Amino acid sequence: MKGLTTEDMEKIEEGIRQKYTKVAISPEGNFQYSTGEAGLKGQNYNPEILKKLPGDILASYCGVGNPFSLGTIDEGDTVLDIGCGAGVDTLIAATMVGPKGRVVGIDLISEMLEHARENLRKTSLNNVSFQEVSAEGLPFQDASFDAVISNGVFNLIPDKVKALKEVLRVLRPLGRFMIADQVLTVKPPEDTRSMVENWAR
Amino acid sequence: MLNEAGFIDYELVADTGFNSSPVTKGVLFRARKPKDVQRRRGMSSNPMDRYDEFFSMVYQPGALDVKTKHLIALGASLGAGCRP
Repeated sequence: MKGLTTEDMEKIEEGIRQKYTKVAISPEGNFQYSTGEAGLKGQNYNPEILKKLPGDILASYCGVGNPFSLGTIDEGDTVLDIGCGAGVDTLIAATMVGPKGRVVGIDLISEMLEHARENLRKTSLNNVSFQEVSAEGLPFQDASFDAVISNGVFNLIPDKVKALKEVLRVLRPLGRFMIADQVLTVKPPEDTRSMVENWAR
Repeated sequence: MLNEAGFIDYELVADTGFNSSPVTKGVLFRARKPKDVQRRRGMSSNPMDRYDEFFSMVYQPGALDVKTKHLIALGASLGAGCRP
């Protein structure tokens, strides 16, 4: 992103890492909105699909919206979940695509991925993988996904245009990008230091 | 920003009501990758492709949202006596 130094980027990453290492243990108390099952219900996730996942997986949900409300995920689809966190959306997508489909969840925080893999082990799904990867440099071939989902993550990515270009590259023609996120309702702070310090808040 | 990255079909769909702070709000966006990225970037001289490109550009969200544009088009078609 323009105007940010390497040091700024490192501070941003450290801020994100600090917050989400705590969230990896439990989202409760780390957000100003409902998390866990209350959050999923409040965002109208399909109750029939939620029933298929154990309650303690659902408890780790901390998304800001329901990306599945934006379009279809079909049986056999390949889906990428950017910033998968504890993997709740990833596992929901895996339930939707079925055994013929494939879902990849990526995140930068190893503690979150550890939680996601632990959640995966509580299911019988075998069409999911998790990888520690940056959204700004996806290690996937061009046109390899039918859908890309993301929930509350793009606002944290320093170079958003670079990450969006990567999404476009890995999507198949007519592939869907379905995203829930936070946007500022006020002007961004002019002072870079304040912006960097408040990035993950 | 989606436009800057090369997406053509994109739409801000709704607020989610799940806000992280008093100065942010939760929102839902959807976008679709064009059928042929090269063609959409103006590489084709085929008239049908160019018309398709024009059609897609007209239906981008702008002063009017996509749904309103489609409803206006439907109204115009019915008014002109078009048959399905």
